[in-house]
Amino acid sequence: MAILEVKGLRKAFGSVQAVEEISFSVENGEVFTIIGPNGAGKTTTLEMIEGMQAPDRGTISISGMKWDKDADRIKTIIGVQPQSSALFDLLTVEENLDLFGSFYPHSKQSSEVLEMINLTDHRRKNVKSLSGGQRQRLAIGLAMISDPQIIFLDEPTTGLDPQARRNIWDIVLKLKELGKTTILTTHYMEEAEKLSDRVCIVDQGRVVTLDTPANLIDSLTKEREVRLYFQDGEAAAAETEQVAKGDSTVVRTELDGSSLKLWSVRPEETLYGVFGFTKEKGYRVEQVSIREMSLEDVFIAFTGKEWRD
Amino acid sequence: MSNGKQLGKLFGAQLKMMFREKQVWFWNLFFPIILMVIFMVIFGGGGGSDFKAKIAVVKPSATEASDMLEGYLRQVPVLEWKSEQPISAEEADEWVKDKDVDAVIVLPGENETTLGIIVNKENERSATTQAIAGILDKFVQQTNYQVAGVTPTFSVETTAVSSGSEDLSYVDFLLTGMIALAVAQGGLFGMVDMVEMRRKGLLKRLRLTPVKMGLFGVGGMMVRFILGIVQIVILSLIGVFGFGAKLHLDFPTLIVGFLVGALAFNALGYLFSSFSKSIEAYMGMANIASFLMMFLSGIFFPTSGFPEWLIPVSQVLPLTYFVNGIRDGMVYGSGIASADFWAGIGILGAWGIVAFALGVLIYRKTKIEVR
Repeated sequence: MAILEVKGLRKAFGSVQAVEEISFSVENGEVFTIIGPNGAGKTTTLEMIEGMQAPDRGTISISGMKWDKDADRIKTIIGVQPQSSALFDLLTVEENLDLFGSFYPHSKQSSEVLEMINLTDHRRKNVKSLSGGQRQRLAIGLAMISDPQIIFLDEPTTGLDPQARRNIWDIVLKLKELGKTTILTTHYMEEAEKLSDRVCIVDQGRVVTLDTPANLIDSLTKEREVRLYFQDGEAAAAETEQVAKGDSTVVRTELDGSSLKLWSVRPEETLYGVFGFTKEKGYRVEQVSIREMSLEDVFIAFTGKEWRD
Repeated sequence: MSNGKQLGKLFGAQLKMMFREKQVWFWNLFFPIILMVIFMVIFGGGGGSDFKAKIAVVKPSATEASDMLEGYLRQVPVLEWKSEQPISAEEADEWVKDKDVDAVIVLPGENETTLGIIVNKENERSATTQAIAGILDKFVQQTNYQVAGVTPTFSVETTAVSSGSEDLSYVDFLLTGMIALAVAQGGLFGMVDMVEMRRKGLLKRLRLTPVKMGLFGVGGMMVRFILGIVQIVILSLIGVFGFGAKLHLDFPTLIVGFLVGALAFNALGYLFSSFSKSIEAYMGMANIASFLMMFLSGIFFPTSGFPEWLIPVSQVLPLTYFVNGIRDGMVYGSGIASADFWAGIGILGAWGIVAFALGVLIYRKTKIEVR
């Protein structure tokens, strides 16, 4: 059963249509990532799901409950880390966790959460003196203190250095192990690819596509770019190009000096043929690469926009 | 978690936050203390109530009259002689210019009947100069009577009275004024947290949890009451032991006045916070309100000395009623049954209710972008 079901969401602010039509459902235990260009309606969508904004149209069902009837009960089963890490700066890490814990009928021990967010050593530090990554971890800790079923992480790694980002990934993976459902937004494709069970791309207030990262990449195109660099000069490369053109798996070729690019629907088959030819001729191939397709290509293909990193 | 337990946690957390903020210490404790001490030292006499003026005498020629006047002058107790011997006119000019003496008295020369006073131009209108002139005037008058052999029939004796207890002094007036001002400022400035919490998205964050915002507000108010009590105790101790203020405490009156006043001024602060997008905007507003009221509500000086057109202004300001309530409870000793007291409390309460209701309304209407 879907733990979160969103149907036909629509929201306008004045004359600006922030969300046109957004529908999706999230299964229990999933890491569900929403990505999209700036102004695509990600934050508005999240805020509607979190109960901070009322949609103009559409329904939101969280574990079968609706905001207008069960607001208090919904609040106890969701945990939110908002984009601005809103913390009590004059309290210590532990005091922040204890205070937020006191808001809920049942909450985790703060020591347990501290362990998970790896801040046990800093628990008596004032929030003011924490680094950006530590603050962000604490914000996630506050979202976890009530032991919620669904956790919303809104751009948890934006502005963090690679190591701090990796620390956050570890937390998300731990949450997944615990069987929690995580709704994530991010600006980093690598992150979405690595962490998500499913990715939902939104643009101009609509869901453009939604699937597992692997399926999204596969769906993008059947052709892969294969690159070969010849040690024996342009002639060898040009000759090989002619042979490759005759191969039914090759869609397109491009020659640039000693380097040859082939677009193939079955790269391994193409290479088998190409290497057969080069071996016969005694040509030496110095470098071979098959370009990996990434979510970034998917994103550009679907939104027509360059990703900002 | 039960409401009581949650309130306890919220109270504890806000108490820690308040006392960890250095600004709170400065503006709510040190600033009022400094202000009170300065005013008491300048206007309250500061304990050294004896007036002394440093003088020197120029005696152009030793006549019988000048000798006699000098002799009498030496008997005036408040005059302190810088030089036992009369000095020359040049020396006198020098001393006055350098402010070595408050004044130089020039005794009449041969065939003269006027006494002269030389003072520094800067001090021409100062209290000391006025006092010396007054003393000299009186002295000359008495000498005239003596020379003429007349006994004066009438004399004037000044006695100060106040609406309250017999021994109400300016120090008591100022102390209670400062207490009211400190508590009022605590409320006016204290809601800066709300602006900051809203700006940082903390208010929004709290709304994502099941916490009851009402409890959060009650917890915050309890913390402010504690701060107010600390202010009253510290300022009173300094006033009583440092400056000899005499208190006539009437606890029921004081408690009612304090609670209603603290609530009203916090409500005003809350109203300011509702339409302040930044801390600077809030502080500007709180400063204007606090400065206007400070001088128009009879904190430092009684409002009776105001020009007539200003009195109605003073009569609408909440601080006027708050300071009266505090004075009722701390020095006037007029008791809780007085109609004036309850009328004041009513006006103060009305300010609070209107400000709070407006604040709630504006908070609901405006959405401030979180950065």
